[in-house]
Amino acid sequence: MRNELTSTDTLGQPFAVELQGIWKRFPGVVANAGADLRVSAGTVHAVLGENGAGKSTLMNILAGVYRPDAGQLRIDGEIHHFRTPADALAAGIGMVHQEFRLIPSFTVADNVVLGAAERIVRRSSIESAVGELAERFGIATEPDRMVWQLSMGERQRVEILKALWRDAQILVLDEPTAVLTPGEADELAAVLRHMANDGRAVIFISHKLQEVTSFCDEATVLRGGKTVAASLSVESTDATELAGLMVGSSPAISERPPPGQVGEELLAVHKLRCMDDRGLPALDGIELTVRSGEIVGIAGVAGNGQRELAQVIAGLRSVESGTVCLTGEDRTFASPRQRFSAGLGYIPEDRLGVGLAPRLNVIDNAILRTYRDHCRGPFLDAESATAHCQDLVDRFRIQTGPLFHSIAGLSGGNLQRLLVGRELRGHPSVVVAAQPTRGLDVQGVKAIQDLLVAERDVGAAVLLISEDLDELLTLSDRLLVMHAGRIVAEFEPTTAERRTIGEAMAGHLDGACVIPEVVGP
Amino acid sequence: MNEASIIGLLEATVSFGALLYLAALGEMIAEKSGILNLGVEGMMAMGAVSGYVVALQTNNPWVALAAAVVAGALIGSIHGFFTVVLGAEQVVSGLSLTILGVGLAAYLGRGSVGRPPGAELVPVDWGLLSDIPWAGPVLFTQSPFVYMAVVAGCLSWFILWRTRLGLAVRAAGESASTTDAAGHSVAVIRMGAVAIGGGLAGAAGAYLTLSLTPQWQEGIVAGRGWIAVALVIFGAWRPGRVALGALLFGLTLALKTRLQTFGVEFSPILLSMLPYVLTVGVLVVISVRSRKRPSPAPAALGVAYRREER
Amino acid sequence: MSRLVLVRREQVLRGGQPLAFGIGLMVALVVGVFLLLGSGHDPLRIYERMFEASMGSPKAWSVTLNRAVPLGLAGLAVAVAGSMGLWNIGAEGQIMAGAMGAAWVARVGGDWPALMLIAAMLGAAIVGGALLALGPAVARAHIGVNEIITTLMLNEVAIRLLQWLIHGWWKDPESQNFPLASMLADNAKLPTLFERAHVGVVLAALMIAIFGVAASRTAWGYELRVAGSAGATARYAGISLERKILTVLVLSGGVAGFAGGIELSGNSDRITENLSNGFGFAGIIVAALALMRPSGVAAVAVLFGAVQIGGQSIQTLGVSSSVSTVLQALILFGAIAAGVLSRYKVELDVADAQPLRPTRRESDTTP
Repeated sequence: MRNELTSTDTLGQPFAVELQGIWKRFPGVVANAGADLRVSAGTVHAVLGENGAGKSTLMNILAGVYRPDAGQLRIDGEIHHFRTPADALAAGIGMVHQEFRLIPSFTVADNVVLGAAERIVRRSSIESAVGELAERFGIATEPDRMVWQLSMGERQRVEILKALWRDAQILVLDEPTAVLTPGEADELAAVLRHMANDGRAVIFISHKLQEVTSFCDEATVLRGGKTVAASLSVESTDATELAGLMVGSSPAISERPPPGQVGEELLAVHKLRCMDDRGLPALDGIELTVRSGEIVGIAGVAGNGQRELAQVIAGLRSVESGTVCLTGEDRTFASPRQRFSAGLGYIPEDRLGVGLAPRLNVIDNAILRTYRDHCRGPFLDAESATAHCQDLVDRFRIQTGPLFHSIAGLSGGNLQRLLVGRELRGHPSVVVAAQPTRGLDVQGVKAIQDLLVAERDVGAAVLLISEDLDELLTLSDRLLVMHAGRIVAEFEPTTAERRTIGEAMAGHLDGACVIPEVVGP
Repeated sequence: MNEASIIGLLEATVSFGALLYLAALGEMIAEKSGILNLGVEGMMAMGAVSGYVVALQTNNPWVALAAAVVAGALIGSIHGFFTVVLGAEQVVSGLSLTILGVGLAAYLGRGSVGRPPGAELVPVDWGLLSDIPWAGPVLFTQSPFVYMAVVAGCLSWFILWRTRLGLAVRAAGESASTTDAAGHSVAVIRMGAVAIGGGLAGAAGAYLTLSLTPQWQEGIVAGRGWIAVALVIFGAWRPGRVALGALLFGLTLALKTRLQTFGVEFSPILLSMLPYVLTVGVLVVISVRSRKRPSPAPAALGVAYRREER
Repeated sequence: MSRLVLVRREQVLRGGQPLAFGIGLMVALVVGVFLLLGSGHDPLRIYERMFEASMGSPKAWSVTLNRAVPLGLAGLAVAVAGSMGLWNIGAEGQIMAGAMGAAWVARVGGDWPALMLIAAMLGAAIVGGALLALGPAVARAHIGVNEIITTLMLNEVAIRLLQWLIHGWWKDPESQNFPLASMLADNAKLPTLFERAHVGVVLAALMIAIFGVAASRTAWGYELRVAGSAGATARYAGISLERKILTVLVLSGGVAGFAGGIELSGNSDRITENLSNGFGFAGIIVAALALMRPSGVAAVAVLFGAVQIGGQSIQTLGVSSSVSTVLQALILFGAIAAGVLSRYKVELDVADAQPLRPTRRESDTTP
C-alpha cells in the first residue's frame, strides 16, 4: 500500500525513512517539537545536534522504543505506527544504541541471532552463518567468543552484525564513535560505506562535526527538538555553517573566560597506577599537577582511564602505586570523606547513583557530604539540615518542589546544580569535575561552566574531564590528552589544532613532539 | 548391610531424586527467564492435593496427573501475574504463594486425609530390562514419574539450549531490555516460564500423592520445595548438573530412614542438613569465581522489567 | 487491537498503603466467604467469632498482642535489612536460633533469679539469631553472595539443629520415648502484663520504636537510607558499604532471635520445633505490607496477629485452620495489587496513535 502523500527523492524513489512533524514530551521536557527527517537509501546520513537537541529521542521513536505524541513515520513510503521495538525491527530498522544491548554471557553468534533464529538452533551452523555475514561486510569478529571477553569496539561490531543479520535496510547508530579510537572509527566508517553501497540507509547520530564531514553524505541538523536544516549535502556545506546551525544564535564556541591568577600547586598526581573493574591496568603512571587558579582539561576517547583517574583522586578506587597529593599533603590512602574535608570537591560523571541518591529527598541529598555537621549526638538535626539545603537551593537557583520530596522529579539541569552546588558551596581548594555538562541543555551547560570558572577565579584548582572537545578548548587553561592510561600530550588550548589533539587522543603522537599543523578550511 | 538393602537405597535415591528433579527443573526454567519463584513448596502442595482429589473422583491416575499439572501451572501463574504484570517483589510474592498454596491445599484436602487415592501410577514394567540384576530394580521398575523426570530434563535442555524459544527464554533472564529490543515479548516469555515451572512443580506434588506415599495429608511436601530451590543453585542452572544434584540430594533423603539399618551411628537429622549446607557452599564458590567471569546465575534474576520508563 | 497498560503516576497516591492494606483485607474476606460457604459454614458467624476471639475483649486483645510480638519482631527484622535493600528470608531460622540460645541459658541457669535469668535468656536469644545471620552477612558484605538464598537455606539448617538437640542432648529424660526438651522453670517465664499478655509485648514495642527512631532520626539511619538507595553514592559519601551490610544483617538476625527468645520465655512451656510457626515468613509479608517502615510493622503485625488468632479460634467451630492461612496470603496479594495501583494507573493502550496536529503535505515542501 503506497500512500499518496509520499514524497520521493531526486531519483523518484520514496525515501527509505521519512519522519514528519514528530513531537515527544517527557515529564518536564519536550524532547522533539516537530522534528523532520528524510533519508534516502544508499546514503550515510548524519543527524547532527548538540546534547539535548532531541537526536536520541527521535531515533528511539524510529526504533519503536518510544511512541511519538504526534507526527508520522514512513518507511519506503508506507506509514508505520510502531508499538514496540519488534515492530520497527520487522520494518527493517536496526538500531545500535549507545549502551549496547548485548548479553555478556552469550556468544557473539547467540547475540546476533537472538530474535531472528531458526526454530532449532545449531551452534555450528549459526556460528558459520554469522562468520560469513561478517566477512561479507568486512567486519572482523569471532562468532564463538563470549561477549564479555570482547573490547568495546568489538562489541559494537556485534551490534552492527545483529542489524545485518535481520537484513535491516535502515541502520541507526547513536553516537557510535564515543567508545572508539580514531583508528576504530575509520574502520567503522568503511563498514558503513560498505553498507550504503549495498543499498541500505545508514543514519549516523553525532555531535562531532569532523566525523560528519568525513563519514557522511548528507546531514540533518536538530536544535531544541526541531529540524533546523534538512538533508544538507555534506560535500557542499561548510563545516562552520553546520556548527552554526547546531548551536543557533548562541555562539558555537562560547567566549573564553579571561585566565585566572595562577598560584601554588594544589593537586599533584605522581606515577599513579590503578586497575579497572575487570582487573586490567587502567592508569599507567599518570603524572599531573593542577595549580590554584587554573582549569586543567583532560581530553581522550572514552575508556582510556579518565573515569578511573577521577575515581582515584576522589578516593573511590584503590591505588596500585603512586601518590595523590591535595593542597601539598599526601592523601593517597585517605577516605572520600577525609578528602572532602581536606578541600576536594568531586563531581562524578554518574550524577544519579553516585553523586546523588536517586530515591532520597532533596534535603538528604544536599547533606550527603556534610551530614556529620548536622548531628546532635547520634541524632540528625532536621532543622539545621533543612536550613543548609534551603541555602543551597537559593544560592545555586535550583528549581525544586518541596524539599522533602524525592529528587526523582528534578530535571537533569537542576540535579546537576544540586550536585555541583553541594560540592562547591564550601569553596574547595581542588575541584574534580567529570563530564559535568553531559546531557544538559544549553542554559544548564552554561550555568555549570560558569560555576567552575567562578571557582577557579577564587583560587580553586580545577581538573575538568570531558568528552566535549569544544568545552575543553573553551574552559581549559591547559589541555592534557589521555590515552591508554597515560597523559600523552599537553596543549595550549588557545593555539592547539583539533586534528593534532585528535591524533594524540588516538595515541599516535608523543606529547614531546606535538607540532601544530596549519590546516586551512 | 546386604545387597537387598543397598538396592533398596539406590531405588529410593532414584525415586526421591526424580521427585526433586521435577520440581527443580520447573524452578530452573522460571529462573532462567528471570523470575525467582520461592513458591515451589506451595505449588507442589497444590499439585499434590489436586492430583489426589481428582484421583479420588475419577479413579484415573492420568487425569489426576493432568489436573495436578494444571493446578500447579495456574497457581504458579498467580506469581507470574504479580511479578511480571504488576512488577511486585519476587521474594515477597513467592513466599506468599507458598503460604497460599499450602493453605489452599490443606483446605481442599480436608476431610479426605489419610485415605488412599483410589488410583495410583504404578511402577512401569520394562519386561526383560526390569529383570536385570541391580539395574532392573533400581532403574527399570520405577514409577512413571521417574521416567517423566528424565524426559522433562532432556526436553528442557534441548529447548533451552537448542531452540529459538530457549534462546529467548535465557536471554530474558540475562537482560530483559535486550530481549525486548530483539523483538521477543519478555512478559509472555516470563509468564510462560513461570506457568511451566508451576506445572512441573505440580507434577512433583502429584508424584507424592499418586505414587510415592500414596495418600494425602497436610504438610506432605515437607520442605522438599525448598530443596528444589536449593538444587537449582547447586546445579548452576544446568539441567545435567541439576540432575546430578537431585541424585545426591535424593540419596540424603533415602539414607535418612536407612542409616540405622546400615548400622551407621550418624544422626539422620544432621544428614538432612547436607543439601542446604552444600548449596550455601556452592553459592560461595560461584560468587568468588564470578569476580573473574560472569556468574552462572541469570543476570536479570529477580529484576522486574517495564518498558518506556525514563 | 488495544490492550491495558500500566502507566506510572506522576505522584504516588497519598495514603495509598493503608488503603492498599484495607483493600487486601477486603479481598481476603470476600474470598474467605466463598471458602467458608464451600466447607458448609456460615461466613458471618465465623467472621464474628474471629473478631470476638481476636479483638472482642481484653482477653482476646491480650492473645492477639502476644501473637503480634513474634510477627512484629520478625517483620522488624526483615524491615531492618529491607531498609538497605537486603532480603533477610532467614527470620524463621533466626527465631529458632534465638530460642535455642534462650533455651540453653535456661538449662544452664535454671536456679538463677528470674530477672537475671530472663535478661540472660533474651540476651542469648539476640546472640543466637545474630550468629545465624553472621555467615550470610559476612558472605554478602565481602564476597557478594546473594543473601536471599543463604538466609533461606539456613532456615532449614536451624530447624534441623533444633530437632537434633531435642532428639539428643536436650531430650527430657522424663518424656520417655517422645523427643521433647525439658520444661522451662517458672523463673524463666516472662511476667504477665494483663490477661494473657506478657511483658514481651512492651519489649517488642520498645524495640520497634527504637529502630523507628534510629532509622528516621539518626545519622546511622541516614547512612542506611543512603546505602539502601545507591551503594556507589554511599561510598562517595564516605559510608562503608561492607560494614553497613554486615551490621544490618547481623542486627536483623538479632531482632529475629529476640523474637524467638520472647516466644520461648513468654508463650511456651518448652522449646519445640514448632516454636516458630511460620512467623519468620509471615514477618516478610508484614514488612512488605509496611513498606519496610518500623511504624507500619507494628500496626500490620497487630492486624496479622488478629487474623491468625481469629483463624485459630474458629477451629473449634470445625473450620480448617487453612482458611486463616489462605486469608493471610490473600491479604498480601490484594494489598500488592492495590499498592501497584497507587503508583500506576491502568490505561487503555490504543493501537494507532493518530497525529495530534495536522501534518503538512510533504509534496508541497519537497524541492
